[in-house]
This record gives sequence, C-alpha cells and structure tokens, in this order.
Amino acid sequence: MTKHERPAGGAPVSKDSARIRVNGLGKHYGTLEVFRNVSFDVGEREIVAIVGPSGCGKTTLLRCIDGLLPVDEGEIWFDQQRVTSPLPGVAMVFQHFGLFPWKTVYDNVAYGLRMAGAPQAEIDKRVPEFVKLVGLAGFEKAYPYQISGGMQQRCGLARALAVEPSVLLMDEPFAAVDAQTREILQFELLRIWEQRPTAMIFVTHSIEEAVLLGHRVIVLKGRPSGIYETIKIELPHPRTRATLREPRFAELRERVWGTLMAEAQKAEFELEKP
Amino acid sequence: MLRNTLSRRLPFFASLFAGMALWEIVGRNSSPAFMVPLSETLARFWQLVDNGQFPAQFLDSATLFLTGLGLAIVVGMPLGMLLARIPAVRLALDPYIMTLYATPMVALIPFILSIMGFGFAPKVLVVFLFAVFPVLYNTVEGARSIKPELIEVARSFRSSEWSLWREVMVPYTLPFCMTGVRQAIGRGLVGMVAAEFFLSSTGLGQLIMSSSQNFDTSGVFAMILMIGLIGVGLMRIGSMIENHFARWRV
Repeated sequence: MTKHERPAGGAPVSKDSARIRVNGLGKHYGTLEVFRNVSFDVGEREIVAIVGPSGCGKTTLLRCIDGLLPVDEGEIWFDQQRVTSPLPGVAMVFQHFGLFPWKTVYDNVAYGLRMAGAPQAEIDKRVPEFVKLVGLAGFEKAYPYQISGGMQQRCGLARALAVEPSVLLMDEPFAAVDAQTREILQFELLRIWEQRPTAMIFVTHSIEEAVLLGHRVIVLKGRPSGIYETIKIELPHPRTRATLREPRFAELRERVWGTLMAEAQKAEFELEKP
Repeated sequence: MLRNTLSRRLPFFASLFAGMALWEIVGRNSSPAFMVPLSETLARFWQLVDNGQFPAQFLDSATLFLTGLGLAIVVGMPLGMLLARIPAVRLALDPYIMTLYATPMVALIPFILSIMGFGFAPKVLVVFLFAVFPVLYNTVEGARSIKPELIEVARSFRSSEWSLWREVMVPYTLPFCMTGVRQAIGRGLVGMVAAEFFLSSTGLGQLIMSSSQNFDTSGVFAMILMIGLIGVGLMRIGSMIENHFARWRV
C-alpha cells in the first residue's frame, strides 16, 4: 500500500515505542471462524510469545501479520504503514525452514537481500557476517540436504536477519528439530537478540520456550480463538541457562500451563457433549 | 581396484561377449538374405565410413534430430511452466495434450505429408511432435509439484513475479524438464528414423532403406547397430544432464 492510499487519519496513536499494532483482528476460512477480536502491541525491543493449543490459529495470525494472508476484520500496523502485503522491515522464520534446496547456504542467506534489491557489494559483505553470526561459518557452500535440521534453521534465521528487519516473525521455528538442538537454538536466539534487539513475535506450542523467550506471553484460546490472557514475564535479562533454574521461571511456567490446561480440559468436555 | 571393478562388471562383459559370439555363429549359419555375422556387419560399416556415405548421412540425420529436439525443448519447457502457473490454460489445453501424447505419432505422418509435402520442415515437425510431449508433460507435473511453502517464502521476502520464476520456479522445475528431455531423446530418435523412412528419404533412414532395397543385408545391420549405439549414447548423456540438475533432489 502506498502512502496515498492510506485511510484518512493515519495510524492509530498508541504507545510511541510500539512497532507492531494489531487491532481487533478477525479471520475466517469460509464458515470457520479462526480467531476474533485479537488486539496487542509489540514494542521496538520486545519479544511477544504466542502460545495456544494446536489449531487455535496462531500460525494463521502470524501469516496475517506478515501480510501473507488477508484479514477479515481489524487492522495491522507496522510503524506508520498498514499491513496488507509483506512489507520491507519484517522478516519471517518458518517452521519448515523454507530453504531453497537448490541453493547453497550462502545463496539461501543472500536470497532476502537479493529480493530487497541490495547491491552485490553489500550482499558480499553482509552474507558472511550473518552466516558467522548464526554459527554456520565454513558451511557456506553446503546444500540444505547436506546439513542437519538445526543447521538448516540457523540458515533460515540468518536469511531473515540478513535483511536487518525491525520485526522478526517466528513461526514455531524450533518445532521441527530434536530436543537438545532446540534448547541450543533457543539460547542462540537469545544471544543474537541481545546483540541486535528487534521486535519479535514468537509463535510456539512449547510453554517453556514461550516463558524463556517472551517478555510477554499471549495465550490464545477458544473457538473461535481470542486472547485469553497476557502474562508479563518479569525475568531478568540476559536470559541464560540459569534462568531455567529460577523459582520465578517455574512459577510463570506453571501459570501459563494452568491457563492453557483449563482451556484444554474445557474443550475436551465440550467434545464429549452429545 | 581395477581387478575389483572388472569382477563386478563380469556379468556385463560376459553377456556382451556371448551376444556377439551368438550373432557371429547364427550369422555364419544362415542365409545372407536374412542375417549376416557381426564381423561382416562391422566390415561393411567400416566401408560405409570409408567411402564417406555414413559420415554424410549421419550429419544429415544429426541436423534433423537436433533441430527437432531443440525445438521441443524450447517450446515444451516454457509452455509447461506456463501451464503449471495458470490453471485455466492448463485445464483448457489438457484434453489436447493428453490425446496427442497418447496418439502414436507415426499415425500423423501421412497427414503431415499431405499438408507439408517433402523437405526439411515436415521432417523436423515429426521429430518435434515425437519429442515435445515428454518435455511438456514432465515440466508441467514438475512445476505443479513445487511446495506451496517455498512460494510463500518468496512472497514473504517480497519477490516479484519475475524473480519468483527466476529464483524458484525455473530452478525447481529444471530437473523434471531434464527427465522429460531424456525421454524425448529416445522418442526423437524414433521420430527421426520414421521421418526419414516415410517423408523425403535422407540420412541414416535412407541408408537403411537403400541397403535393404539393394539386398545389402550387412549394410542394414550396420545401420541398425549404429542407430542403436547412438541411442544408447544419447540416453547416457541425457541421464548425465538429468543427474547434474538434480543434485539437490534427494
């Protein structure tokens, strides 16, 4: 959308630090209503984790925020721009990695920059930098099938980071890798975020992951789903492995767990009704 | 190492040797009107090379084959990708493509002869028709099998339609096209000989025909053997090209 097409009145006034503003969002596929009246903000240097049961529409919500899917109600604002299609400054990391199998690690990382029209000199400078940042130095010439799932997702992360986005959208990025790799990648992501803080929306079905990474955790629930609760995660930064051992971490995890499970039990009871 | 390779390949060489021996023995014990031994076939082949007939006709056939195959690739690949990307066009053209793909192309030759007559163009058309459908069909199926996730990644990174083709559609589809090209090589060769038989007689097809009419059985066998070997060689090249483009396809 160009500036001329923006509706009169411009972006709604909100906290000046908000990078992403989601306002009364609703989405349905045909007669199936996925979510309704979803509203939240994401600050410039804030990680918002979204958890919810399978099929609650959290991935759909993220795709709407990226501009990949149209919304039926409400609006999404990225700074002063209304999101109706993918915008520069927002980058997504996919659950399925989304690497191009015929491109090497180097060319996959360069892809986003090339699509953004970056000059070759800049690509040559930035790609090695980001390959190194995610710990893939030495694997530039490898093809995705030659490296492990964890390394593939490092590559996916580097591709998103290389365009230096101010918003990172993470769609269950570590769901497809094994447990140990997942833990390593979580701390890698925290390390990278401390170096280059951005706004981040992190969709996951792991409560622990949500509490470890998020400054706030949004719990989606119901059919159609909506925001059931937003839980502020007051854990110190930088978060490290030591964070996992803090009593406060366990409390918050239990709190999110309780919120989610109350919903899950209710849903099961509803299913059992004739 | 060498010894190892040899022993692993023993059945191959043993079979080859037995086949050649059998040809020789059967050839020596039958009338030269039907069959000639391998040695005589090879001697006759060398004669045809020596007197310049084979090189000239080979060049003639090669020109025809490569022109037809080249056209099939140039038309089949882009058309296939277009059909894959625009479902309405695919649905509209599908019955014609399926029917033509299933039709024995030899049946079309009299029709081509009556409208285009003799000359180079109708023969190229025959080779083209034999070769184009495998390319087209494999390209369409390949391009359609692309994961929607990859298209989504491209959209998320704000790819233009042109970039989507250059960076995603074409590189993804190329190995499938090459499978089609490999099949097209075999079919194109059949088309080439058929065109040389039934349209204006030239090339290796003409050499077979004239040898046959002159009761030159060894000449016929020499040409059949050569065309067979050329076919094997071309298929090998086709497989190599296919594998080269499909390295990432595990």
